[in-house]
Formats: sequence, C-alpha cells, structure tokens
Amino acid sequence: MITISHYLVFSALLFCISVAGIFINRKNILLLLMSIELMLLSVNTNFIIFSHYSNDMTGQVFVFFILAVAAAESAIGLAIIVSLFRIRNSLEINLINKLKG
Amino acid sequence: MDILTILFYLVTSVIIISSLSLIIVNNTVHAALLLVLIFFNSAILWLMLKAEFLSIVLVLVYVGAVLVLFLFVIMLLDLPVKEKVNQKLYLLFSLIISLIMFIELYMVIFYHDFYQVDEINYYAEFNNTYEIGLLLFTKHLYSFEVTSLILLVAIIAAIAINSANKRKALKQDPSRQIEETKQSRLKIIKDKDL
Repeated sequence: MITISHYLVFSALLFCISVAGIFINRKNILLLLMSIELMLLSVNTNFIIFSHYSNDMTGQVFVFFILAVAAAESAIGLAIIVSLFRIRNSLEINLINKLKG
Repeated sequence: MDILTILFYLVTSVIIISSLSLIIVNNTVHAALLLVLIFFNSAILWLMLKAEFLSIVLVLVYVGAVLVLFLFVIMLLDLPVKEKVNQKLYLLFSLIISLIMFIELYMVIFYHDFYQVDEINYYAEFNNTYEIGLLLFTKHLYSFEVTSLILLVAIIAAIAINSANKRKALKQDPSRQIEETKQSRLKIIKDKDL
C-alpha cells in the first residue's frame, strides 16, 4: 500500500539530488541546465501528488503552466549558451567571470 | 505486494539511480539520454497518480521537443569530453547541503499529519483531459493567455540573442554602397594566352 508520504519522500529525494548536481558541476553549464529541469520535474510531481490526494484538478492546471514556462526557460537558456560558446569557446562555469560579480 | 507497489518501487529506483548518475557523469550526450529515461519513468509515475493528460504531455513536449533541443545544442557546440578534475571540496559541500535539506524535508513529511484520503474512486465517466480543459478555459483563462505571451517572448528572445552578431548579418549598408566605384569593384586582367 503506497501512501502519500512515499510519493513525497521520493519527490524530496529527487529535489535534493538535483540541488547536489548544481553544486557539483563546475565544468559544464549544460549539465547545470539539466539539473534545473530535474528540479522542476520534482516540483511538478509534488503538485500532481497533492492534486491526486486532495481530489482537486487545479494542481494539474498549475503543472501545465509550469511545463510551458520551463520550456520557454530552457529555450532561452540554450540560446544564451550557444552565443556564450561562440564568444568564449568553452562552457566551463569557473571561467565565466566577465561581470566580476 | 500488489502490482502497483512493485511498479512504484521499480520506477522510483530507476529515476533515483539515473539522476544520481546524471549529476556525476562527464559526457553531456549520456546526460541528455539519462534525462530522457528519467522523464519517461516520471510519465509512468504521473500515470499512476491518474494524471493521464499531463503524462502524455510530458512525453510529447519534454522528450519530443525540449530534450531533442538539448541534443541539438550539444551537437552544434561539439564539446570535447574532458578528464575528471579534482573537485572533492564541491562534492563534500554538495553532499552536506543536500543531506541537510533531505533530512529536513523527511522530518516535515513524517511529522506532519496529512489528511489521508486513501483511494479516490473516480466515477466511470471521469475524463481527465476534459476536466483540465474545463478549468483552463473558464477559471484560468487569463493565465492561459499570459502563458501564450510568455512563449512568444521566449521565441523572440531566442532569435534575438543569436542573431545579434552584426558583422555577419545579411543587411544593406547604404553609405558603403554609395562609396563603391567601378575601380574598387572591377579589375581587368590581361590574359596573354588569348
């Protein structure tokens, strides 16, 4: 018998793994973007779990909006990466310090 | 153990193992293909939670479009596969931070008394896609229109970022066109063989 807690623990585990992925990756900005996609997936899973267990469809509508925004975000992110690679000829994160922030 | 429990543990273990290997893998193509596997298994999980429309959307939009876009960019950039570098400090910090986060979330989940609705019996004519469409075009119509605007902005931004390279862009420069003379364009070569 699978309760709501099983699903929630799985979603939390996936979120923590993708946060660790953002910290670990210093060599490739594409893998960082993939970790962000993974975080969004775990958040969406959380929305669907609560939508299912509270019998309310609004959570699924919200997941629909998040999917649209995430697609837009990854399109712009990949465009930025392509133009960055054209300028710097590498994708290493610790070399991207042009703004000196 | 019934079949749904077995399926749950199978799908979640595949997702967890492949996401763990995604964050430590070095090759970006392998990472993108692992992401495809993760999204497929998440679609199965969403199907178990009776979100049929969204699980199909996840496969069609994410695996079909966004991850193909990722693979396309990887192909365009032609990145060299680098050797592993020494990054033990980052590994230590990320382990500590994610472990703390997970323990806190675990405590929140298990010490909170969720209102437990055991199994919702949907009636036979329940149509997931119909219900989502009904909500989307009545209660959330304004947000739906704003979403279309966000997608438009994404299209324009993606094109504008990558066509900003002015020297290579094909466009006319009237002052240079006026300055051109016959001498600067034409060169008469005497061919002695003729």
